Amino acid sequence: MTGKKSARARQSRSVPPRHQPGEGRCLDILRQLSAYIDDELPSDICAELRRHVGACPNCEVFIASLRDTVKLCSNHQTPPLSAQERAMLRLEILQASKSGVPR
Amino acid sequence: MRPPARPQSKKPTPPNNSQEFDRLYRDHVDLIYRYAHRLCGEVEAAKDLVQETFLNAYRGLKDFRGEAQISTWLYTIASRACMRMRRKRKGEPQRELSLDEFVPTSEGEFRLQIPIDGLTPEQALENKELREALDQAINKLPKKYRMTLVLRDMEGLSAKEVGTIMGLNERTVKSRLHRARLFVRRELSARGITQQDHRSREDWQPGGSGL
Repeated sequence: MTGKKSARARQSRSVPPRHQPGEGRCLDILRQLSAYIDDELPSDICAELRRHVGACPNCEVFIASLRDTVKLCSNHQTPPLSAQERAMLRLEILQASKSGVPR
Repeated sequence: MRPPARPQSKKPTPPNNSQEFDRLYRDHVDLIYRYAHRLCGEVEAAKDLVQETFLNAYRGLKDFRGEAQISTWLYTIASRACMRMRRKRKGEPQRELSLDEFVPTSEGEFRLQIPIDGLTPEQALENKELREALDQAINKLPKKYRMTLVLRDMEGLSAKEVGTIMGLNERTVKSRLHRARLFVRRELSARGITQQDHRSREDWQPGGSGL
């Protein structure tokens, strides 16, 4: 608990004042979350955000759900074309190209 | 049966590069179909887009100088064709997503979760309800945000490549991507699919024993 408290105290000095955990104004933190999970933030800002997240359960859950969203997207599967569909499409394209269909 | 592509015009393109085209088609049709399917959300529209893409590629093949990777070139043609096709069909307005709309305003909204706890994403996506929710969330995105998310998070391209394809700078790509992710997150978590729902579904196959 004390650890959490001191993290909170540190965070209150370094995190933009608009963020008030529990009251829902997190715009400045929110803006940076994709860069944070993509590991694109400069190390000082990243460390600051990490400190904050460690002290804010709401943000921690929010970030986890954003990460899960990205993971789901990157594992999204699409049913492939069958060999027949592939061949049919090719014919249609070649026919259309011969008939000079406008772009 | 799909309708014939378009009304005809008088200027036929000579098929002088058909071998080259066949190679291009063979090597990239699956990639472009996957992209088209993700963009369009359904099979027939995806096939139309593939057709439009390769038709334009066929015509542009002799001018392609190899400055870009072929896949990047094809993604670019497909993206432009997609923008045109959809605009023609619906005239849908391009809604902008504002960051403000994603700021949680209550404790509950903050703590909405995506129900994949303890599962790998592959295992989680075995659940039909979650798969459909993801597809619907992506389809609900305004198209320029959808395109950004599909290229970056689903096709796995870098922000720089996405920028080249969409004609945007990297900063705009990242900003759009972020809003698109927040949108999908909210859609998924707000549907209230819970672990309980997962377990009670017939099609639910827990791939691991994490639950």
